[in-house]
Amino acid sequence: MSRAIAFLVAALFLALGGTAEAKSMTLCRAKPELLALGTNLPVARKAIAEKKSLRIIALGSSTTAGYGVSNPAFAYPTQLRIGLEKALPGIDIEVINRGIGGQDVEEMAARMQVEMQENPASLVIWQTGTNAAIRHMPLEKFDSTLRAGLRLGKSLGADFILMNLQYVPAVVAAPDKEAYEKIMADAARDFSAGLFRRYDIMRGWYDDGMPYAQFVQLDGLHLNDFGQKCIGRLLTRSIVDALKAP
Amino acid sequence: MAAASVRDIRLDLFRGLALWFIFLDHIPTNIVSWLTVRNYGFSDATEIFVFISGYTAVIAYSRMLDAEGWPRTAARIYRRVWQLYVAHILLFMAFSAQIAWVSIARDTPALIEEMELLGLGQNPYRAILEAALLKFRPVNLDVLPLYIVLLATFPFVLPVVVRWPWVVIGGALALYAATSHLNWNLPAYPDGKVWYFNPMAWQVVFHVGAACAVFGPGLSRLDRFRGPLTVLAIAFILFAAFIALSWHYNPLERLVPTWVARLIYPIDKTNIDILRFLHFLAIAWLVRIAVPIDAPGLRWPLWEPLRRCGEASLLIFCIGTFLALSGQVIVSHYEDSILSQILVSILGIVIMCVAAYIAAWFKHGHARPSARVGTATGTSR
Repeated sequence: MSRAIAFLVAALFLALGGTAEAKSMTLCRAKPELLALGTNLPVARKAIAEKKSLRIIALGSSTTAGYGVSNPAFAYPTQLRIGLEKALPGIDIEVINRGIGGQDVEEMAARMQVEMQENPASLVIWQTGTNAAIRHMPLEKFDSTLRAGLRLGKSLGADFILMNLQYVPAVVAAPDKEAYEKIMADAARDFSAGLFRRYDIMRGWYDDGMPYAQFVQLDGLHLNDFGQKCIGRLLTRSIVDALKAP
Repeated sequence: MAAASVRDIRLDLFRGLALWFIFLDHIPTNIVSWLTVRNYGFSDATEIFVFISGYTAVIAYSRMLDAEGWPRTAARIYRRVWQLYVAHILLFMAFSAQIAWVSIARDTPALIEEMELLGLGQNPYRAILEAALLKFRPVNLDVLPLYIVLLATFPFVLPVVVRWPWVVIGGALALYAATSHLNWNLPAYPDGKVWYFNPMAWQVVFHVGAACAVFGPGLSRLDRFRGPLTVLAIAFILFAAFIALSWHYNPLERLVPTWVARLIYPIDKTNIDILRFLHFLAIAWLVRIAVPIDAPGLRWPLWEPLRRCGEASLLIFCIGTFLALSGQVIVSHYEDSILSQILVSILGIVIMCVAAYIAAWFKHGHARPSARVGTATGTSR
């Protein structure tokens, strides 16, 4: 009996030690240059100036849908809305969550038109690439589908921000993840869309010594509560900076 | 049928343990959840709970099938399904009411928004309809719907599994493989969502559990391979523990070769990745070796609260889920206070135990003195 209790106490102490050490690692952060979107969001600016409103569609897969988080409000689209409401008082902010788990660029490009007709928005955040990378979608196909989607979306008159892959064990192990990343960066440049460098931001966390358990769920793929909230906060900062830039 | 002539108290004990783990794990950032199995490998308490549910379903209904025939047994199983359904709806109600109460009591718009984002606020009538259809489930209310679906199909599995358990194992594995390959799942609400615990994948745990109950003492045939199986199980559990630890320490993580990472990730929970299932089977095998059915330590009084919780599993599951939400609210109120996490965890488990003892006291007050140990309803609860 005493042995069992000693074991429990030891286990608890180990755990306490672990979190005390990790405490400095719970800061949500990113290098400022990684937060530059590379666009000043003209359509969104116009909507804010003329209609005092900003409607955003979050188009994406499981990250957007908020798979596995302990409260749906922790998913980055809701965090973005809460953050923007704080940063842009008096502006009517709406973030429509159109994340469907398991999808990638093909399914999302296919529903792009319907999504944007149902909810005319001035800004679309398109989170994609992760499922393509872990399922080894051919690069040329990824490239052409992404560009077709962007072309269509832009023609419907909205600003775009591409959110690239997450830095998590399942993606890091995928062979061509950097190639998908590059395709997204090039496409963003060619269509003057913004690029939210989620991969580099999260790699920064890891390289600073933040353990995966801090920001990834135990499946090694999905962002956990911390990861989602932090990405939501950083994305808010990126968008606010882009809107306020001269 | 050889299945369980003596009551196997290991089932109640480990089911109780799984219920404690589920409660602890459902409080985010809870430091006490370091004591639960999920931090030391791939599988977690869900596998334990579902496996034991399959095992006890056979024990509870197989003798009744022999004695009273299929129609009555099926009717009895559906009565149980109905109880589960009612419990789930009641839990849904209590869960939502608790969120409403917290947001009203604190009068903070952010919390009311969170509540709306649980899906009720935008379209409450639709949400209630979808909840009744089990398609809309707030976070952490995913286990009971899984159990309901598994038990609702059980009347058709039972007559097969008691005669040809291998056929059921084969069928379960085939459905599991097809589901993972073809991405089958049941639809959920809001549109586009699917079940967090895919019943067509998770049934493999339930049905292997059911088949093991039919094998019963016959499982000792595996003892011919006791040595190699034990070595394999230990090796796999150590591998899983290493991977799980690597999530917490980057220097360890860098030791994992890329080809291994490519092979194992993602370790899917919705469709119960094969690694999770194998990890659970390895644990179950070692428990079978280490804790035989007549192990004297099983009667140790310290374990009794666990057994009592396991006996009243439905009640304790519901209470635990409800309390985990309260715990989440309290813990988040006190920011990162470790003390609040420890206190909330202990208090929650004490409440669960008290409820379990009351349930036992209540039940035994009704039973005739010639304790009908191991009868159908007794073990199913």
